Amino acid sequence: MIRLEHVTKIYPNGVKALDDVSFAIQKGEFVFIVGGSGSGKTSLIKSFMREIDVTKGHVYIEGIDITRIKRSKIPKLRRNLGVVFQDFRLLTNQSVYQNVAFALKITETPNRIIRRTVPALLSMVGLGKKSKMRPDELSGGEQQRTALARALANNPPILVADEPTGNLDPKRSWEIMRLLQDINMRGTTVIVVTHDKEIVDAMKKRVIGLVNGRVVKDIQRGEYGYET
Amino acid sequence: MRLRTLAYCLTQGVKNLFKNRLMTMASISTIMASLFVVSIFYCVVVNLDYVLEEFEHKIGIAVFFDEGVSENEILTLKNQLEARDEVFEVIYVSEEEAWHNFKNNYFKDREDLLAGFNNDNPLRGSSSLQVLFNDISQQSALVNLLNREDIVRHVREAEEVTVIVQNLNDLITYISIALIFILSIISLFIIANTIRLAITLRSKEITIMRYIGAKTSMIRGPFIVEGIIIGLIGGLIPIGIIYYFYDQVVLSITTQFFLLKDFLVFLPVEQLMGQLAPVVLLTGASLGYLGSRMTISRYLKA
Repeated sequence: MIRLEHVTKIYPNGVKALDDVSFAIQKGEFVFIVGGSGSGKTSLIKSFMREIDVTKGHVYIEGIDITRIKRSKIPKLRRNLGVVFQDFRLLTNQSVYQNVAFALKITETPNRIIRRTVPALLSMVGLGKKSKMRPDELSGGEQQRTALARALANNPPILVADEPTGNLDPKRSWEIMRLLQDINMRGTTVIVVTHDKEIVDAMKKRVIGLVNGRVVKDIQRGEYGYET
Repeated sequence: MRLRTLAYCLTQGVKNLFKNRLMTMASISTIMASLFVVSIFYCVVVNLDYVLEEFEHKIGIAVFFDEGVSENEILTLKNQLEARDEVFEVIYVSEEEAWHNFKNNYFKDREDLLAGFNNDNPLRGSSSLQVLFNDISQQSALVNLLNREDIVRHVREAEEVTVIVQNLNDLITYISIALIFILSIISLFIIANTIRLAITLRSKEITIMRYIGAKTSMIRGPFIVEGIIIGLIGGLIPIGIIYYFYDQVVLSITTQFFLLKDFLVFLPVEQLMGQLAPVVLLTGASLGYLGSRMTISRYLKA
């Protein structure tokens, strides 16, 4: 589903963010990507989304080498990937419902489908009764669940979560992880970038560790394994 | 682009205008001021052109012929002249008509003074062709051509006045072009800045749209719409002002310069608007579009 072959990214200022990274993630997998600050995690995610052009190597998503596709094809690529961020990135002046509907609206989904899909997504993430509230009226966990509902709105086969629990307390963090696990059980490939050692160790999923842009570990049912 | 996308771009474009009120007002004011100046110059040029056209139809050249030239030869030349694009009309004035006109002009009510002429025609050999122009700028070329004709004795032209009007019109046209150019550049930069601010205000939304996989047209569309609306509003206001005040200004000019009333012929407001409105609205919309594109291609790369 995702395959990286000898991917290297050197930024114009000379910083090498990724250094000959190669691995593959199969359909339906749940993978943690761990590593300290500056280890290359964010660049890795950006390379999946073709937000950056890699300096060397190839990134395949669903068999397509996305380093070679035209810029005009990037939106279509990104519809295969749902993304959630540590800071939720919700539209604060819009309701929970509107935030989720926004993802469908901008992908030109007909209104009747939006009206059917959004309540289903909100009920899946446990926000069925809060659809009219604005993000600033919600807890951090609820905001992240809204972001998750939005990321899943276009039914992407892959979900990428960049530090999804970074701004949450342990209880809310576990709620989000359980939700991610549920989403994974429904067949979505889930990739979680995290610092949270406790969660990684407890969940016993595949762990890919990065240090200075290099893959230093790739273990099935692994643990965080080193200090950041 | 699908209808739904178009509707989205239109509503978001309109929302942008209100999110960003101060800059929107600044942009509309600048483009309005620019297009107002452009419109005024346009009015002057169009009206001068109109005056010139009327003038061209009223004055022309008179072609006189050598003695002994037959009427047939003159009429052949008349036909040749009539076939030319720059010629509006050719009137043949025979020597009898010339004498008749002269008598009417100078001896009206004093027929007794004509007794000495004994039915002689002192203007014998004064048959002429009066040539009126569509395009007075071609006058000199035609005079040169006629002077080379064997049968032509003399060509009388009213060159000076036409040259003055022509030169004045050319001067105003050049000034207008220069002003339109300078004001367009200023408007472009103001619009570009407004759109830049709109992009900054919506940067979070744009980032989310990108991550979700919105098409480039969906991301850029609202800003293009915003630019075009600013341009159109900036064009509509001067058109409205000119439409409202044109007749009053024309009346005031014709009253003040009463002596020139035969020369100062103004286009009716409806006819003027038929030309001015599309030009100004199209210019406004184009400036809005270009201003947006300038910013988008710099700050909203795919």
